[in-house]
Amino acid sequence: MRALTFLLLESGAGMTGADSGKTRLVVGGATIAGLIAAWYIASTTGAIPKLDFPSPEQFVAAARQVVVEPGFADGLLFDHLLHSVKIILLGFFAATAIGVPLGLWMGWSRTAEALINPIFLLIRPIPALAWIPLAIVWLGLDDAAKVMVLWFAAFVPSVINSYTGVRSIDRPIIEASRMLGIGRMAVITDVIVPGALPSIFTGLRLSLQGCLTALVAAELLGAILGLGKVLYQAGLDIYPAMILVGMVAVALTGFVLTALLDVVESRSMPWRKR
Amino acid sequence: MADIVLDGVSRVFGHGDKRFVALDKVSYTVADNEFVAVVGPSGCGKTTCMRMAAGLEFPTSGTCKVGGKIVDRPGPDRAVVFQQFALFPWKTVQQNIDFGLRSLNVPRSEAGDRIAASIKLMGLEGYEAAYPHQLSGGMQQRVAIARAYVLNPQVLLMDEPFGALDAQTRTVMQEELLRVGRINPRTVMFITHAVEEAVYLADRVIVMTRRPGRIKETIDVKPVRLAEKWDNYERIEDVMDLESFVHLRTRIWRLLREQHDPADH
Ligand SMILES: Nc1ncnc2c1ncn2[C@@H]1O[C@H](COP(=O)(O)OP(=O)(O)O)[C@@H](O)[C@H]1O
Ligand SMILES: [Mg+2]
Repeated sequence: MRALTFLLLESGAGMTGADSGKTRLVVGGATIAGLIAAWYIASTTGAIPKLDFPSPEQFVAAARQVVVEPGFADGLLFDHLLHSVKIILLGFFAATAIGVPLGLWMGWSRTAEALINPIFLLIRPIPALAWIPLAIVWLGLDDAAKVMVLWFAAFVPSVINSYTGVRSIDRPIIEASRMLGIGRMAVITDVIVPGALPSIFTGLRLSLQGCLTALVAAELLGAILGLGKVLYQAGLDIYPAMILVGMVAVALTGFVLTALLDVVESRSMPWRKR
Repeated sequence: MADIVLDGVSRVFGHGDKRFVALDKVSYTVADNEFVAVVGPSGCGKTTCMRMAAGLEFPTSGTCKVGGKIVDRPGPDRAVVFQQFALFPWKTVQQNIDFGLRSLNVPRSEAGDRIAASIKLMGLEGYEAAYPHQLSGGMQQRVAIARAYVLNPQVLLMDEPFGALDAQTRTVMQEELLRVGRINPRTVMFITHAVEEAVYLADRVIVMTRRPGRIKETIDVKPVRLAEKWDNYERIEDVMDLESFVHLRTRIWRLLREQHDPADH
């Protein structure tokens, strides 16, 4: 551990603007490599009991089992992944396609705010997971029930942040567009939406995170396929290595989806680049 | 005809205990193609007056007319240069200047010429594709002015447009504004708290007082400017050295100093 700290300090020293990104990559890689080494040492020396936490070999074996063959919990990792990502995207897009315009509208129009806010205030404090029983009663253990839970998880942050996005647009900018005589449609497309965009994306990131959380929780309750099912089955089987594989798969899924959103975000706001 | 007429304009903000009179029966006129500078301590209601002419604020009593019509909304016939620039951060320099022309449905070919002309006028060549945050404060201010000029407005309302600039840029911008005004005279309401700037640029200077906001005095600069041939001097510092300039400046300074009420502190 001391060696690792030393390494971090060493490579961090004398960092200049140009290569700081590269340095961070190196440091990040070193941290992860160090953790894996520590994990390896701890499990071979018996510092961590193998029954509680898998060794790196056990982890690799479990990963191979679910990724290549024969699979786990009725499918290969790819099938589970595909199924989970499909539900995440369905829930995410169904919720934000309604949530973002609704939030923008509430931010822009006092009437809309007065109309919708009471309903929204009722929904808002309900944790997405509290919808699970109702979803099951209404839609069974189907994918539709999961999409419904994800919908609520993604809906709330997309509304709130789109709303605050509009409200946080500088007043003089709105006044400037009125002064220029900009028409209603152009005000929406050229002022309101771009002005709220940074906040909209904050909301989308929260929505995505909410979808991932809700998905795992919903799948833990029963699913044909999915990452949550892998975790659930591995738990029943008392199979720590597979639990870890499932967790890593969930983390990577979240990481990749968030990274994709980041790409969309920076593409949508070219003016924010340096 | 595009004159600005404030007639007995009062504006009260707040209610109950917090109620206060920001403007108290203010009347003044900016004649067609006249350049009027408004000076006064901060909080005396300069911006509020300008916002009334812009249609962004309304009198509690009295009337504000532009070109003989009561102002009831903002519009591109009264271009505003906001103190905080108020550029659209997501639009390039070119798009910022173009935005107003699009809503005016100016034919594209004509719009292109007008944009090019105002970009040239403000010395923004080469920055057409830049976003506001990539520009210095001075350059952003030029964009804000270009955006107003390109509308070819009858009335130009400028709220401390050079307030955020460094002294050098400020001088360049003042000379530029005077030059542009000679080529293309407009009705201008120009708010500032820099007395020298007011005397240098304006045909008339209105001095306001605070609590409540009232007009203290109006000083005619134009007759002096013409009599003493200020326009023969190319540079601002040469004009500022003239005795006639110093005399007017000192007079306005006194008017402002007089209202430094010790009871305020
Ligand atoms: N919308 C508003 N609500 C409440 N008070 C305001 C509002 N606008 C201006 N004021 C007050 O009116 C006074 C005059 O403001 P302003 O016209 O901005 O002064 P100036 O531009 O001369 O500094 C100030 O005391 C200011 O705080
Ligand atoms: Mg002001």
